[in-house]
Amino acid sequence: MTVQDTTRTDDARVRYEPQDGVLLEVEDLFVEFHTADGIATAINGVSFELHQGESLAILGESGSGKSVTAQAIMGILDMPPAVIPSGHIRYCGQDLLTMPEEQRRKTRGPEVSMIFQDALSSLNPVFPVGWQIAEMFRVHRGMNKSDALQQAVRLMERVQIPAARERVKAYPHQFSGGMRQRIMIAMAIALDPAVLIADEPTTALDVTVQAQIMSLLEELQEERQMGLILITHDLGVVADVADRIAVMYAGRLVEKADVDALYASPAHPYTRGLLESIPRLDQKGQTLAAIGGLPPNLMRIPPGCAFNPRCRMAQDVCRTDRPELREVAPGRLSACHFAEEVIDA
Amino acid sequence: MGTYIIRRILQMIPVILGATFLIFAMVFALPGDPVAGKCGERPCSPAYRAAYIQKYNLDKPLPVQYGKYVLNLAKGDLGTTSNNIPVADQLKLRVPVTGKLALMAVLIETGIGILAGVLTGIRRGGFLDNLVLVSTLVLISIPIFVIGNLAQLYLGTRLGWFPVTVTSSNPSVYQLLLPAIVLGSLSVAYVSRLMRTNLVENLRSDYVRTAISKGLTKRRAYGLHALRNSLIPVVTFIGFDFGALLGGAVVTEGIFNIPGIGGYVFRAIRVRDGASVVGAVTFLVIVYLVVNLLVDLLYGLLDPRISHE
Repeated sequence: MTVQDTTRTDDARVRYEPQDGVLLEVEDLFVEFHTADGIATAINGVSFELHQGESLAILGESGSGKSVTAQAIMGILDMPPAVIPSGHIRYCGQDLLTMPEEQRRKTRGPEVSMIFQDALSSLNPVFPVGWQIAEMFRVHRGMNKSDALQQAVRLMERVQIPAARERVKAYPHQFSGGMRQRIMIAMAIALDPAVLIADEPTTALDVTVQAQIMSLLEELQEERQMGLILITHDLGVVADVADRIAVMYAGRLVEKADVDALYASPAHPYTRGLLESIPRLDQKGQTLAAIGGLPPNLMRIPPGCAFNPRCRMAQDVCRTDRPELREVAPGRLSACHFAEEVIDA
Repeated sequence: MGTYIIRRILQMIPVILGATFLIFAMVFALPGDPVAGKCGERPCSPAYRAAYIQKYNLDKPLPVQYGKYVLNLAKGDLGTTSNNIPVADQLKLRVPVTGKLALMAVLIETGIGILAGVLTGIRRGGFLDNLVLVSTLVLISIPIFVIGNLAQLYLGTRLGWFPVTVTSSNPSVYQLLLPAIVLGSLSVAYVSRLMRTNLVENLRSDYVRTAISKGLTKRRAYGLHALRNSLIPVVTFIGFDFGALLGGAVVTEGIFNIPGIGGYVFRAIRVRDGASVVGAVTFLVIVYLVVNLLVDLLYGLLDPRISHE
């Protein structure tokens, strides 16, 4: 309330500037689900940064905490049952978790935005798609109906929806799966967000459509220099798009590396298992390698390394001491006692 | 759309025929002498008896009686009562009264029911939620004649807030207010619960999560996105309920002495006036079918996924 307060513009809108190129900084984040059966620790001390124009893929099985991480950043976790006991999520240096709700709401859309796995259920069935895209401009920019609809048409054209002008009044169920996901993308990029989170954007689609959607996302990310967080369980999907990959297991980051380095030589047995389980044409006739066992129950995460019951390399130390995420090679982090041996293997 | 409506109207014909035949057969099957009691305490004269039997073809077998009735019906003739008054004239007097009562009851159940459903759906498990849960349970459990008589006794006689009975053949809104509240109270329970369940379900839906992540206010995400979807089944229920209420409420009309269609049918059954029963029920069947069609068309307007093409 002082006269020197110059961070605010005339319309009292808060400006967000990346600090040293860092858009988003997640620091030691914990998320728990308090249920009738007990407390499930979905995220167990996760830290990472997202830089301007960077594509970060978060990789993991179901229940690894990758979607919960995205929802925590977006602020759309159901609280309760979800609880965030500690941690920080900073957007341009400002902690989203301690920000007043109204200020945080205004970041959703113009600053951070998200697309979801199932575009059919994620779009409102009773409103036309153009109306749903235009809503972004009407709510955040106070634009009138016809101008906002013009913007919606422009965006639908940008995401390559054929005959956008005619289809702007159509309903979600009148589009194919790929087109619906394009509409979700149009809605998410409407206000030029600095960060786009894509939670399994292609999982519900055909393989050919998957590739189209991924190349659209890549194109938009480069065009707008967005920070992209790509959440997936499919290593094949991320290879072309991501700059860096963070691998999650049982609520922790177990490996983080540049995409090429990780594909060339994973530094964690879990990542190696994932890579080996990708079907390849030159392995025709051979049995596909799979990681044995199941991900742990998040209410009873095994002591030591959470992956030890499924790990072929597990030693006694893995069952007692939890490996910290540490730098095992320049620019490479791994949470494995034997990371160096895994890389060399 | 046009062909859909025509198809639906054509489908009504067998339903009307079937329904009227069932009613006709049931009235036909009633035990006892249909002419008895038409002449007060004394037995009817043989001449009156013969005329009565001839008028309603009572000496013919059931299919012939029904066939003649349907032929008249096709000409728009609902028949005449035993007092030689056309059934259509009787209905013309009573339908507006029942229509007014039904409309008032529907407005009450819609307003209170949706409001209660929304408030309890948004604040699940709160004080209001429990209060509405218990009070709707009470309303659903108590028979309508108990509610009607209690309302009449306490709100009408003791407190004097409302007229106790209807005294005119064309009652005012004020006179019909208490009966409408009684009639609507049961549906309030259903509407509020249906609204609450649907809203709770939709608040958890993916598109509401999308709405929140679009940066919409909670008010807009819940009040527009979730509510718009939750209203679809509620509006459908209210439409069907309106159709049922148009059929008259025998008990409520009886308690409050309302000259509506329910009371008319009730009296006609008691005095074995077959023509009135069949005529009125035929009319009600048609009303119900038309309301059903309108509700289905409304459903298509509310939910773009439903197509009548």
